[in-house]
Amino acid sequence: MQRGMKNTEKSSLRYIPNTKEQQEEMLKEIGVPSFGHLLNSIPVGIRLKSDLKIPDKISEQELFEKIHKISQKNLNFIDFKPLIGAGSYRHYIPEVVRTVVSYSEFYTAYTPYQPEISQGTLQTMFEVQTHLTRLTGMDVVMPSIYDGASATAESVLMALRINNKKKVLLSSLLHPHYKETVKTYTKSHWIEIIEMPQKEGSIETEELKKLIDSDTACVVVQNPNFFGGIENIELISNIAHENGAIVILIVIESLSLALLKSCKKTGADIVAGETQSLGMDLNFGGPYNGFIASKENYIRQIPGRIAGETTDVEGNRAFVMALRAREQDIRREKATSNLCSNHALNLFAINAYISLLGKEGLYRLAVLNTKSAHYLRSKLIETGKFYGDDYPFFNEFVLRTKDDPKLIREKLFKAGFLPPLKVSDFFPALENNLLFAVTETLSKEDLDKVVDIIRSL
Amino acid sequence: MKLIYEKSIKGRIGFSMPEDRFEDINVKDCIPEYALSKEKKELPEVSEVDVVRHFTTLSKINYGVDTGFYPLGSCTMKYNPKINEKLANLEGFTFAHPLADIKHFQGSLELMYELEQLLKEITGMDRFTLAPGAGAHGELVGVLIMGKYFEDSGKPRHKMIVPDSAHGTNPASSAMAGFKVVEVKSNERGTVDIEHLKSLMDEDTAGIMLTNPNTVGLFETDITEITKIVHGKGGLLYYDGANLNALLGIVRPGDTGFDIVHLNLHKTFSTPHGGGGPGAGVVGVKNHLIEFLPSPIVCKCDDFYSLEYPKKSIGRIRAFFCNFSVLVKAYAWILSMGKDGLKEAARVSIINANYVLSKLKPYYRPAYDRFCMHECILTGRDYKEYGIKTLDIAKRLMDYGFHPPTIYFPHFEPYAHETIMVEPTESESKETIDEFINAMIKISKEAIENPELLKSAPHSTPIRRADETKATREPILKFEEK
Amino acid sequence: MAHKIVEGLLYTESDEWVRVEGEIAIVGITDYAQDKLGDIVYIEEAVQGNKVVKEDKVATIESVKAASDINAPVSGEIVEVNKSVVKDPAIVNNDPYSKGWLFKIKIDNTEEIKDLLNAKGYEEYRKE
Repeated sequence: MQRGMKNTEKSSLRYIPNTKEQQEEMLKEIGVPSFGHLLNSIPVGIRLKSDLKIPDKISEQELFEKIHKISQKNLNFIDFKPLIGAGSYRHYIPEVVRTVVSYSEFYTAYTPYQPEISQGTLQTMFEVQTHLTRLTGMDVVMPSIYDGASATAESVLMALRINNKKKVLLSSLLHPHYKETVKTYTKSHWIEIIEMPQKEGSIETEELKKLIDSDTACVVVQNPNFFGGIENIELISNIAHENGAIVILIVIESLSLALLKSCKKTGADIVAGETQSLGMDLNFGGPYNGFIASKENYIRQIPGRIAGETTDVEGNRAFVMALRAREQDIRREKATSNLCSNHALNLFAINAYISLLGKEGLYRLAVLNTKSAHYLRSKLIETGKFYGDDYPFFNEFVLRTKDDPKLIREKLFKAGFLPPLKVSDFFPALENNLLFAVTETLSKEDLDKVVDIIRSL
Repeated sequence: MKLIYEKSIKGRIGFSMPEDRFEDINVKDCIPEYALSKEKKELPEVSEVDVVRHFTTLSKINYGVDTGFYPLGSCTMKYNPKINEKLANLEGFTFAHPLADIKHFQGSLELMYELEQLLKEITGMDRFTLAPGAGAHGELVGVLIMGKYFEDSGKPRHKMIVPDSAHGTNPASSAMAGFKVVEVKSNERGTVDIEHLKSLMDEDTAGIMLTNPNTVGLFETDITEITKIVHGKGGLLYYDGANLNALLGIVRPGDTGFDIVHLNLHKTFSTPHGGGGPGAGVVGVKNHLIEFLPSPIVCKCDDFYSLEYPKKSIGRIRAFFCNFSVLVKAYAWILSMGKDGLKEAARVSIINANYVLSKLKPYYRPAYDRFCMHECILTGRDYKEYGIKTLDIAKRLMDYGFHPPTIYFPHFEPYAHETIMVEPTESESKETIDEFINAMIKISKEAIENPELLKSAPHSTPIRRADETKATREPILKFEEK
Repeated sequence: MAHKIVEGLLYTESDEWVRVEGEIAIVGITDYAQDKLGDIVYIEEAVQGNKVVKEDKVATIESVKAASDINAPVSGEIVEVNKSVVKDPAIVNNDPYSKGWLFKIKIDNTEEIKDLLNAKGYEEYRKE
């Protein structure tokens, strides 16, 4: 009896509705005596001879307990105030954003190939395209690719397609992971990648002038840069354009767009970036969402899915995927990219986040970030324990210390802060440098506490 | 449907934030004039209620697996378990900063490591990278590894063989990695033409990218022969895992000679498609290719998890590590199914597809009349004479409350035309499948008796048939106030 | 529906038509090609002044769901491009053999013309 019960239990799975009896009935309808007949095309010699060595199924309750336990082996991050950013920024996420991305009509849908029953996804793509054109000032936006690093790499490929040149200048203050990703993606193009040196937190424009020539395809600059610094993009663009190079602006802390001058006005031809700041959790580094924006005339060189407005047969507004002929399912090896899946679900997060904050909210939040970060930096300098280059920045900055950075980080951690990044992790020459990020998640009291800890060293 | 911009009322806000207590600081003193925008960016101004209603309305005009049957061939639209969403959103995971000290994210690394062990066993591969964000991203990793392997051997190779039945991503990925794409034909049975393959495979060819079961839902019966031909010339075999669902617990790609595999965790492993993503396109390799994997990969040593940078790595393909929350969901699904459950998923998905095929083949003559694996290919070619395109059949299905199957794919000469590719997956009940079959049969009758009904379909959807030509001829890609 | 094939023109197996006027070849796509592509939405135009070799890709035509390369039927120099079809690609659908011409090539080698199909030959080829 007990044995029998166990067998029934084994054969029923909560995600598979058809009972054994139904399966048998269906096999009969198909006209085969057993399931094995349907596998006739699989040579017996290559079939598995034994069961997979993976555990037996567990109940939902056991599953929850098991994975919850694993999650608790992480630091209880939520209790720590973050002083670290470096491409991944903790901002407060309004509950509405979480509600919206949990609507299962959104998260259980596929790519919107059938517009008649996918208007929710398509309209969100279109709305995010609009938000990002307004934030960047660019003409067109492809709203979703895996992340900022892959968006950067794809936009370099885009530039190479546009002008067919062979040299790429990367800001040395481009996020190191982004630099590496660009190198991986462009490997088969046999191009020369040169890093533009920085000085005191900004690109050295005099050095740029020496490095650039008529064979330069593009100049890739992150703004705010990896050290949080705000570059003079207009100056860099002018030099690039004089040499016929395309200016690719990389924005990783995308909240800065609410405050900074239109990318197009500063001379950017392409903007690629990361939108994690606009409604996405840190999530151990992903999934985030990358985007590519450009001037109108490059539109057919943009990879990835774009939504467009049209009408249905009755003249009602309708959204569809536009400019499809750029894509791999139509062009195969001649496509602009192999991109197929994107990170559409994150567009719902961005859309909800930007809609909630809106014109005023996003601006005020960017202002609060700026002020908080500047407050902390000036207070830290006042302690006399830190000094640093005086470059303009948004919500991240680098400071040097004469004290032991390890000790500083430990003390901050003990006081409930996620310590700032050791710059030497990525720039070995820059010992004793810490990269601080300050978002609205740190209150004035928190910042004062940081200062007190440093002062008491 | 109104855009959020059209609901905007000046002065509204849907957000509250801590008070700005830095009165002494002026932004103009922080950010230089050349960088500061003179005006605020023109974003919508709406209240929290407006936002919630906006998205609730949008959700009502979107169709997902939770809405109903979604038999998109090649996409494996199976049920996405709710508990997996909750687990992926545990705060211990979602608040983890990727550049924190490694001792602080041991839990995340443990989950990645444990998932990798399961995937290795399921596929018969030796090591995985969990970095790729999508299947195509995984393909790029795979072909870059192939390129690097030959480069490292001192004899770089320049060509890649891709079947004419392959997904478009295969040739596109190969081209991105610098390979010249060579197409191998399908034979009259819909699988790789062995003689043609023999004539193409040479010592300048890196290998072949193969989907198995292939995109017409057929198992590549000659796989051992294919392996022999490709390995015989020193080439590598790449397994596109789009269709792995059919083989779970039955065949492991690693045992049939594949050197590299990518898996779509958002297909076989139940993680949701999210309206296009995020998914995860993890890549597994055999021992001889581990040193080329993208960096970093997860290692376990004395119960401590760390990140390793393979010696001859192709490099990074993204920032940070992986689409972590997607991995949690896939891990949870495998544990929930267990070893018997995985096999059962394959079994039921195959039965369901063959059931659809057997019931519908009198009405939608298949390109190949033989048993299929987890998806079947029908065609709408018999209705052409009534002026009906396969597209019309697909559109009409929406009136019956179903998401249409994949149509016009695969599309290769001279066999596959007007294709309708149905993949029911294991998570659909016989009752649902029967309803779908009945709708398809009704439509086949309507096609003959009342073709106009199909040509003007769909009739009951949130919008009617949309003008895609206009959208591309005169692209409107953002909202502009009139 | 039978596709229109115009007597007196020359054809390629990749569905271009050629009208030879002295040393100039006027090139377009056939009725069959435009029908197969469907509504044409974009034309990536040939570059005036470019030297092309027979079978080089010269232009690209895109419809909503397909893209097709237009190859040079003969070698020579692109001397003129039809700007009006670039502006309004639907012309190629509506009038492929006349107003829908794509570009003109100044022919390098008149021998190459002999390789092209005549109307009858093209009709046979398409029937197969």
